[in-house]
Amino acid sequence: MAKARALDRRRKSIRSIRKITRTMELISTARFKRAMDRTIAASAYTKRITLLVGHLARSGLEVTHPLLQTHPEKKSAMLLVLSANRGLCGGYNSSILRLAYPRWEELTNIWERATLEVAGKRGISAFRFRKIQPDQTFTHFEDKPSFAEVDVLATRYLEAYVAGALDRLDVVYTKFESLSRQHAVVETLLPLADLGAAPAEEERTAVPYEFLPSAASILEEVVPTSFRVKLFKCFLDAAVSEQIARMVAMKAATENADGMISHLSMAYNRARQGQITSELLEIIGGAEALSK
Amino acid sequence: MLHCIVVTPEQTLYDQTAEFAAMMLFDGEIGIAPGHTPMIGRLGYGEMRIRRGGQIDRLYVEGGFVEVLDDEVSVLTQRAMPAAEVDEAVAREQLSAARSRRASTPETIAQRDRAVEQCRAQLRTARRAR
Repeated sequence: MAKARALDRRRKSIRSIRKITRTMELISTARFKRAMDRTIAASAYTKRITLLVGHLARSGLEVTHPLLQTHPEKKSAMLLVLSANRGLCGGYNSSILRLAYPRWEELTNIWERATLEVAGKRGISAFRFRKIQPDQTFTHFEDKPSFAEVDVLATRYLEAYVAGALDRLDVVYTKFESLSRQHAVVETLLPLADLGAAPAEEERTAVPYEFLPSAASILEEVVPTSFRVKLFKCFLDAAVSEQIARMVAMKAATENADGMISHLSMAYNRARQGQITSELLEIIGGAEALSK
Repeated sequence: MLHCIVVTPEQTLYDQTAEFAAMMLFDGEIGIAPGHTPMIGRLGYGEMRIRRGGQIDRLYVEGGFVEVLDDEVSVLTQRAMPAAEVDEAVAREQLSAARSRRASTPETIAQRDRAVEQCRAQLRTARRAR
């Protein structure tokens, strides 16, 4: 009886784990949908900003801005790592950290002063484990990063860059490409490489825009805005990708649990049947012995 | 008819056809009627009014840009909300906090002035929405 009972106990525990993973899958599905909606909403803004920059550029304006200029000296660099607050999401955190470590080494070797900022408990503890103390940590970015929250960071970086206290900003995050494709990337956000002015639609060439107050003054505002939105997009992408990663991991876990349950059920039934058979044999054997 | 769109990084707040729209530019109010010349402008802080079918929608818009092209008015802003949702009490509190903030360098003075202006614009918008 002992073996069958042990099998049954294991099956029970796997069933309850399956319930947990299944629930987590459902929760992350719901969260993913919400995060996805926010990403789509943000992309409407990004698209319009890009269009606006395109129109500005086509009006024959020389696009120059302090944020677009690369600082010649290699003084201080910053690495921002966006990881998750929670685990159980497959390779999400590890693939980010796999990119973050080498980049951090590189920055500390080449630049005079490198600062590290990490969002997400997982990333913080991983860096601590390697005896690297992040200069700033954030754990308040959950699955719904708000623009106001990200804006606080963006403003700090912008001010530092313009003042010359920061020469480069790299962000490690998981880029969301499609439902089935997300991968960790390192992007250099400062200096801003380009504003993404797409010269795609050429048919409406040179609409004579009226600029209020002037194209240069508008550009002065557009460049920081486009940086803010880029940073916000990084956070949104990271949030969406985290939920997808968790969804996939939990789905796999639930399926594994299903497999284990059916396997254990079979073993349990066999063991029980075997026990019954042996008990029957004992009784028959005993009766035979008595009747003789 | 005008096609009026207000987008923030978090959502598309407003998307309607209208007859007339007025908003705060960096130096004063601008009214936009159908047939307006193509324009890109810097917005200030303040109320945006949109008239459609006899009713007037009021929004609070905090900075950003407006682009007018082919009777489409797109407002890109970091923060916007319906005027009715502006919390007067909070705005007043923030105003007094901003005014009592100590500022010594040109940047901090500019920051303080911006905060004060934003709060005043909120109060003005809220008062008009009542």
